[in-house]
Amino acid sequence: MLRRIAGNLFWLARYLERAEWRARLVDANYRLLVENPGSRKDELWPLLTVTGEWELFCEDYDTADERSILAFLTFDRRNRSSIASCLEYARANCRAARNRISSELWLEINTLHLEARRWNSDLLLSHGLMAFFAELRQHFYRISGLIENTLPRDLGYDFLSLGKWLEAAENVTRLLDTRYHFLLPHPRDIGSPLDFAQWTALLRSASALESYRNTYGNQIAIERVVEFMLFNPTFPRAARFCIDHLQSALKRTPGAWNGETEIIKSAAVDVPAADNLFNKLRSGTAAAAIAGGLHEYLLEIQNDCAAIGDQISAAFFTGE
Amino acid sequence: MHSQIDVESYAPATAASVRNASATGTKLPFSQAYLPPPGLYDEMFTSTGEVRPHYAPILPLLRMRHDELDEMRITAERSLLHQGVTFNVYNGHAGIERIFPFDVIPRIIDYQTWSRLEAGLIQRVKALNAFVADVYGQGNILKDGLIPRDLILESAQYRRAVVGLKVPLDIFITIAGIDLVRGDDGNFRVLEDNVRTPSGVSYALENRAITAQLIPEVLRASGVRPIESYPADLLACLTELGSERFSDPTVALLTPGPFNSAFFEHVFLSQQMGIELVEGQDLVCKDHKLWMKTVHGLRRVHVLYRRIDDDFLDPVVFRADSLLGVAGLTAALRAGNVIVANAIGTGIADDKAVYAYTPDMIRYYLGEQPILPIVDTFLLRHREVREKVLRDLDQYVIKPTDASGGYGVVIGPHATERQLAELRSHIEREPHRYIAQLPVKLSVHPTFVSGADGKLSLTHRHIDLRPFVLFGQRPRVLAGGLTRVAMREGVLIVNSSQGGGSKDTWVLGPSC
Repeated sequence: MLRRIAGNLFWLARYLERAEWRARLVDANYRLLVENPGSRKDELWPLLTVTGEWELFCEDYDTADERSILAFLTFDRRNRSSIASCLEYARANCRAARNRISSELWLEINTLHLEARRWNSDLLLSHGLMAFFAELRQHFYRISGLIENTLPRDLGYDFLSLGKWLEAAENVTRLLDTRYHFLLPHPRDIGSPLDFAQWTALLRSASALESYRNTYGNQIAIERVVEFMLFNPTFPRAARFCIDHLQSALKRTPGAWNGETEIIKSAAVDVPAADNLFNKLRSGTAAAAIAGGLHEYLLEIQNDCAAIGDQISAAFFTGE
Repeated sequence: MHSQIDVESYAPATAASVRNASATGTKLPFSQAYLPPPGLYDEMFTSTGEVRPHYAPILPLLRMRHDELDEMRITAERSLLHQGVTFNVYNGHAGIERIFPFDVIPRIIDYQTWSRLEAGLIQRVKALNAFVADVYGQGNILKDGLIPRDLILESAQYRRAVVGLKVPLDIFITIAGIDLVRGDDGNFRVLEDNVRTPSGVSYALENRAITAQLIPEVLRASGVRPIESYPADLLACLTELGSERFSDPTVALLTPGPFNSAFFEHVFLSQQMGIELVEGQDLVCKDHKLWMKTVHGLRRVHVLYRRIDDDFLDPVVFRADSLLGVAGLTAALRAGNVIVANAIGTGIADDKAVYAYTPDMIRYYLGEQPILPIVDTFLLRHREVREKVLRDLDQYVIKPTDASGGYGVVIGPHATERQLAELRSHIEREPHRYIAQLPVKLSVHPTFVSGADGKLSLTHRHIDLRPFVLFGQRPRVLAGGLTRVAMREGVLIVNSSQGGGSKDTWVLGPSC
């Protein structure tokens, strides 16, 4: 597999995953507004803090109301992390790696990209935002299904996996970090009905609410949510699950080479940051993470993820 | 306009009425409304309005209702767009992706006509190949005075860097796209040879896929020769060249990248052939060998099917500012460690001035009479010829000798005074860069065209044909090729870069 193509596949998966997480995040928080009577028009703004795009938003918009924030996060192309932008980058990577992708998968991604080009505020709100996101979710599920069902389990699949799991792990920490930023504006709110609704929304935006309840029952407690979202080995959007799978994809990459003739061998693949995070998530507990400061712990994982990304890039995508 | 009919006014055909009509040769109602334009050759109808027999299978198409046709058109366009069957246009904005407009009525060529075309194409490409080998080898045709030496040496397409280079099986031109047009006399002529990096075959294959989707029964019942083996045939040819020197050669396709107008085709072909699609940045030359950068290190490439012009292939030898190619490729080529297809320097054979000598070439190298005639061509480098042409400049088609894709072509009868004046001064300054031809009245084909009001009507449009010829150990010709349609009325240039569309091209089997 060409280094460039491996990079395209890695980034294709990352952007798809990012777009999907974005959609979940916006959807869940919008839902929270709808289900809480009396919420204010600007109550989506903390999303801009979570995503780290508050300043960029202020450059382009005068008012932070529902409409402008939704536009910014969903289809504004000046925002490189809007859902539509992520889809555009995903599609560009997909196109460059087109001959490693099944026609069915390409068709689905290209169709979604073309649809995203037509998004605007009126379209989003005309059928209701929830319907919009419900349909968008269907697109993402179809894409996942096509990846699972139409691609051979070869190196290409491994690079898609690396991108997907790395992005997912990073997004889980960002999602949990919303707690730090705005889910707990006042200590007195802890344990209040609003707090409960916010944790529920958080779990729901990771499609984790049902699984969480199956594991821990109806009671939603901070320690258990953190335990579930960071250290659960069986839930696909838990950080540990993601890094476990990233690690096994990484272990497969040298072995997937089927011994073509006349090849100059490269140095052994080396991604120590992945080993590091893998071990951290295996030995970590929610109690310890919270005791030491949850925000700091999440930042640490985000830095680990960045290091993994850099090391994967150096090992596979650049050089000879 | 007298030649247009409103499709809506026709009731759907019944199978019986069509069968009856084709059996008895009686006129169908629409043929009374669609009048073949006088003075032009209509591919489907005779000058008296009779349907040519080989077009009988598709008569039901002309009787479809407006809404059915519109639905088909929308289905086709959506399918092309969503699948990314697009080409990039550079004019104005960078990287706009456009679909190649598709017309559902196929262009049909009967078995006998095609057999002759096929023989003519093989003969022609064989001679062009021999010519390239000769020009960069012994130079016999120049020594014998058949083609002036300076015409070759001064050509922008002559590549000194490959003089004396040996290529496997003596094949320089692996892939050729020969543009054919049918004149008002009904005879096919060669309009242009494309033997550098001809494109369009993917559209021909996609058009067939769309036809199969839109009108499966009609296609099935018509006995059309399949074309799906093209990528396998191409890979076979490339592998045959490689196998002359290497055991189990690795083939890769070199593309300029996603912003190139033909990127879709590069993706399509590499995917169909199951080979790597590489960009210049993926390649490196080491020890006079070509390698691609894989996640497991460098892997050898033996045969490079390149879709990049000579000029950009190797910054060491050609344009130093090129980022698209790979430094050292020419040296690897000379060392015999890599094969490039088409070979560097083949452009000398599709130079528009050299074109004038192609019938002589066929006689010279093959000792045969040319099967396919060419268009009468005047070299403006000769003074008497030039003076004669300049006197009646508005009567000629003027082409730059070294351009392709329809760029720079001026059609005298359609040009403005100012364009002609400009052209005149260009010709006087650099006469060797231009040729003149009498305009060919391209044949026309019934085509559904949507008007400004969005309404479809059936009208005639000019078409040409680009068949694709492959050479490995033996020649292989795609049955048909790409039929391009000039989508605006009266326009004679059919290139996609100039806003043309296309049709599926059917070659009928022997029994039809």
